[in-house]
Amino acid sequence: MDLTGVVEALHGSGLSEWLRSSLKAMPIVEAIHVMAIATVFGTIFIVDLRLLGYPNVQRSFWRLHQELLRWTWGAFGIAVVTGVLLFMVNAITYYNNTALRLKLVAMLLAGVNMAVFENVTAKSVATWDKGVPTPTAARVAGALSIVLWVSVIFFGRWIGFTKGYDFSIPEDVQLDFEFPG
Amino acid sequence: MIEFAEWLGTTPLSIGVQSRSWLTPLLQSIHILMIGVVFVSILVVALRVLGRVRTDESLAAVWQRFAPWFWTALCVMAMTGIVLIIGEPVREATAMSFWLKMALIAVGVSSAVYFGRSLRSVAASGVLEASAGARFMAVATVVLWLTIIFLGRAIAYDLEVWGSWHIGA
Repeated sequence: MDLTGVVEALHGSGLSEWLRSSLKAMPIVEAIHVMAIATVFGTIFIVDLRLLGYPNVQRSFWRLHQELLRWTWGAFGIAVVTGVLLFMVNAITYYNNTALRLKLVAMLLAGVNMAVFENVTAKSVATWDKGVPTPTAARVAGALSIVLWVSVIFFGRWIGFTKGYDFSIPEDVQLDFEFPG
Repeated sequence: MIEFAEWLGTTPLSIGVQSRSWLTPLLQSIHILMIGVVFVSILVVALRVLGRVRTDESLAAVWQRFAPWFWTALCVMAMTGIVLIIGEPVREATAMSFWLKMALIAVGVSSAVYFGRSLRSVAASGVLEASAGARFMAVATVVLWLTIIFLGRAIAYDLEVWGSWHIGA
């Protein structure tokens, strides 16, 4: 699937050009992205720990799920919007960035994991909501979710460090790494 | 301070960090995960003060549940943060965002200590929950930690964000 046309259109759009030329826009977009992903990860982590039975199974899982996941979704929405803006300003470079692709794959897998949990495992929640250990499927979902979202954060950070600059040293150049003074 | 930062940048420790290209991204990733833990711990407690979550537990019980995560994650952030600073000392020392962030972290930590102490007695927990100022403080605390997150990201863009208030070399 060749999305280069779409990617180039995004990169060349008026919004994208404005963002690139604005001094303060991108730092603000990035900062909001961090706030959003911190909220996504932190809330998911709490729910996942509960799925794993930490610290205990005394409180209702479903109550925790209902109270927290609305914040997860709200924050995720903000993360997606800011993420699209981040992508746009350098769309062509990011489209070819391996870390970005791995991040999207990890998010997709996290989404599949969640869909399976919500539509299959959670159907029986009444039987394991509180006071009893969570079923294996729930624990697997919780553990997978943690692993996947941690990887999303790592891949996300790696994008900034692998943006496509070519730092390979030309063969006929001698570099002097002696520090002055 | 900037001379100290410049000197720090020439030490073997700093060069050790600078020369391992995977180290700063690794530390930053851990730093970000910990931001999630710290911020959401504060968020859940604030939401409890506002009566939006976990109302089946007392405020004291909620703080008891999340405080260990808050403090532990903050310690990990301090450790990763110190190594990150050692790796790029001049960038931090010359950033208005960095110094403001440190000041606000001091405020946030003090307020968390004070909050924990005032919840010591069960009766105090109930009183605190009901107090008019508590709801304002809950929102203010969330805003404080969001500002700290903003400033953390702004370090890399200090000149653009602060203009003439950027410290610079």
